[in-house]
Amino acid sequence: MTTDFQLPAIDYQAISPLLILFGVACLGVLVEAFVPRPARRRVQLGMALVGVLAALGAVVLLAGTNVVTAGGSVTVDGPALFMQGALLAFGVVALLLIGERRVEPGGAFVAQPAITVGSEADQRQASAPGATEVFPLAMFSLGGMALFIAASDLLTMFIALELLSLPLYLMCALARRHRLISQEAAVKYFLLGAYASGFFLFGVVLAYGYAGSVDLAAIHAAVDTSQMNPALLYAALALIVMGLLFKTAAAPFHVWAPDVYQGAPTPITAFMAACTKVAAFGALLRVTYVAFERLAWDWLPVIGVIAVLTMLVGAVLAVTQTDLKRLLAYSSIANAGFVLVGVLAVGRTGASSAMFYLVAYGFAVLGAFAVISLVRDREGETTHLSRWAGLGRRSPLVAGVFTVVMLALAGIPLTGGFTAKFAVFSAALEVGEGWLVIAGVVSSVIIAFPYLRVVVMMWLSEPSESTATMVAPGLLTGTALGIGALAVVGLGVVPGPVLDLAHDAALFLR
Amino acid sequence: MPGPEHYVALSALLFTIGAVGVLVRRNAIVLFMCIELMLNAANLALVTFARLHGDLNGQVMAFFVMVVAAAEVVVGLAIIMLIFRTRRSASVDDSNLLKY
Amino acid sequence: MSVLLAQGVEVTAGEAWTFWLLAPIAVIGALGMVLARNAVHSALWLVLTMLALGVFYVVQSAPFLGLVQVVVYTGAIMMLFLFVLMLVGRDAADSLIETLRGQRAAAVLVGGGLAALLATGTYRWLEGTPAAGLAEANAEHGGNTEGLANLLFSRWVLGFELTGALLIVAALGALMLTHIVREPGERLSQPEQMRARFAPGNYPAPKPGPGVFATSSSNTTPAKLPDGTASPRSISPILPIRELTAAEAADKETER
Repeated sequence: MTTDFQLPAIDYQAISPLLILFGVACLGVLVEAFVPRPARRRVQLGMALVGVLAALGAVVLLAGTNVVTAGGSVTVDGPALFMQGALLAFGVVALLLIGERRVEPGGAFVAQPAITVGSEADQRQASAPGATEVFPLAMFSLGGMALFIAASDLLTMFIALELLSLPLYLMCALARRHRLISQEAAVKYFLLGAYASGFFLFGVVLAYGYAGSVDLAAIHAAVDTSQMNPALLYAALALIVMGLLFKTAAAPFHVWAPDVYQGAPTPITAFMAACTKVAAFGALLRVTYVAFERLAWDWLPVIGVIAVLTMLVGAVLAVTQTDLKRLLAYSSIANAGFVLVGVLAVGRTGASSAMFYLVAYGFAVLGAFAVISLVRDREGETTHLSRWAGLGRRSPLVAGVFTVVMLALAGIPLTGGFTAKFAVFSAALEVGEGWLVIAGVVSSVIIAFPYLRVVVMMWLSEPSESTATMVAPGLLTGTALGIGALAVVGLGVVPGPVLDLAHDAALFLR
Repeated sequence: MPGPEHYVALSALLFTIGAVGVLVRRNAIVLFMCIELMLNAANLALVTFARLHGDLNGQVMAFFVMVVAAAEVVVGLAIIMLIFRTRRSASVDDSNLLKY
Repeated sequence: MSVLLAQGVEVTAGEAWTFWLLAPIAVIGALGMVLARNAVHSALWLVLTMLALGVFYVVQSAPFLGLVQVVVYTGAIMMLFLFVLMLVGRDAADSLIETLRGQRAAAVLVGGGLAALLATGTYRWLEGTPAAGLAEANAEHGGNTEGLANLLFSRWVLGFELTGALLIVAALGALMLTHIVREPGERLSQPEQMRARFAPGNYPAPKPGPGVFATSSSNTTPAKLPDGTASPRSISPILPIRELTAAEAADKETER
């Protein structure tokens, strides 16, 4: 027998954000078991917010770190820390939306999802306080995302992918109103998500077969040295990228997005739109820049075509939508295409522009979904466009915030959206990918139309009987709205500091 | 004599059968079984590559995949049970509230 | 065990026999799963494939994984599938109606092509690659299981901890989605039910059926009491009472 067992050196400080997130998530499960029901929401929300803020603090303290730790599972470098920071900032805003209970009595989540829809027991729980299990689930998901960005081998990435996805599938099924649609969204998301992760896994396996290791750095090294047939590596690359593009909702792997965005409870949709996007692009950047950089000339044209397709599909289909949540889903697809343009400008500028874009988009989309959660009638949220006509006259303040957010998504100057689009397009021009920029500009023009149509409807139509009412935002949603609007305007007026931060951070450690 | 190429080819065949099964079947539970078959095929390839490279890491990875699949099955079946309870059908075509 | 560990680099005749016997069985199991109309049969076909794969693991110097495959996959996961199938109803057969015309044919065509491409592709890419064999790696720590344990708790210790988190999520999710809280006193005992039934002010006889066949075929139509008023007791409390208007109840002249 052996006595040579050695624990790997673990830099606990470097993985402290992860430890904090998972620790708070586990504590949250214990809170579910031991804290009396009426006090749970306050305890859970407080704990989750403190946890995410503490993790954010840990990320800030780690700035400038460059280590590979935990036996080679985690890389803590500039891009990982920058995107973890963005992720946790979005996490705070999303948690505020998840914790809101003023807007809808009991919150956006149902108390007991297992009760048959429409039964007597269901009517009794109509305004009962919602399930508080969402907080630990959201924390687990955030932890998985933070790890997904920082994983330095493909197996850890696969585990992180599942860890971020499983809670999302579950949370999708918990809407208080329109429960059937919500559960249907959960089934669709689950089946398609599991399917995509199957492809991702087979890609990982083929990469292992080629390189004899799943470390991203080892795969990079093996591109030159391996004796195996390179076709294995190309197949691996295709399958892995397919799995990741599914999570980013890029065409043609986008079909789940509209249904899931529409069916999921609005706070969870906001969480998915902002946080999952960051996590998925973080992993995509790491895989393509660290492991497959030497194949860049092979994957550039393919992913380029996907980027163009994504932008155009998202933009054109967004024009035809009449439901705001679906509209924002197609907009998120189109935005995935814009971020891909940044990713394709391989190099420091490309990575930093993509990361900046993710920050600008995340705050805007969180603000948009915060407003959507406020516009309601007796049936719950009203997301049909026609019901929004004239809202601007009734509640100018919140409608004003929504207008700012929409203008940012449309990429109007002096908003974060403009700076971000400018950054990715100029990065693409710098490396001579003009065709991507042309497609990008065309689709930004197309997709500006639905955004502006909403704005015009809100302000220029007369309020009628069918106009929905705007519920006054509570403290939590109000704060979320404020953060979103301020960030969107701030990133447009003084983008310098964040752009510099992204540029300084945009070097991957191999 | 079967070498690594035979095992990996078998694994690729099983993987595609699973992938096609997801596209042709309608029952959510059968669909999910097809996904399980894809994961199993990946495991076979992992074990084969571990032997090919003389490296136990591949076997550890297959072990991880099994654990992850177990967790995924629990979550998936819970969601499918939930939707079945509310609408008494496991066919994905009956889930059609979400259309354009 | 030692026999299994000894082989590795060269392929024995026993392995060749095992492969050519079990590989077709694995493929048949997979095809059977996809083609069986009954979901329970699908599950059983899949068990066959999984057992064949378990044998392949043992043959390929992975005895521990072979065992785990049988215990965890066929023993636990597939039984969970069967449980759920039985709960959901065994007769949940697939419909043959295509919602997207030609989707199945297209999927089979594309899938067949892809299968041929991937299988022959991987075969050709790997043809003649010598296998290093695991004899050395297995011997390093005294055996296959010991070697795996050594890696699991050193190189992959973070992943190991994370699977713990994954299992917590799974348990929490399953509980949340399926558990219904029963308040104390929500379920009445038999004596309590009987007392409530015969308490003054309650109507102890069976409830009247709805007026389904009187004027309409809807079970939201309440039964009529002798004085001509509708009896709300005759329909479920969650249904809205709906009576036919005179125009709706009138003879539609379709019987002639």
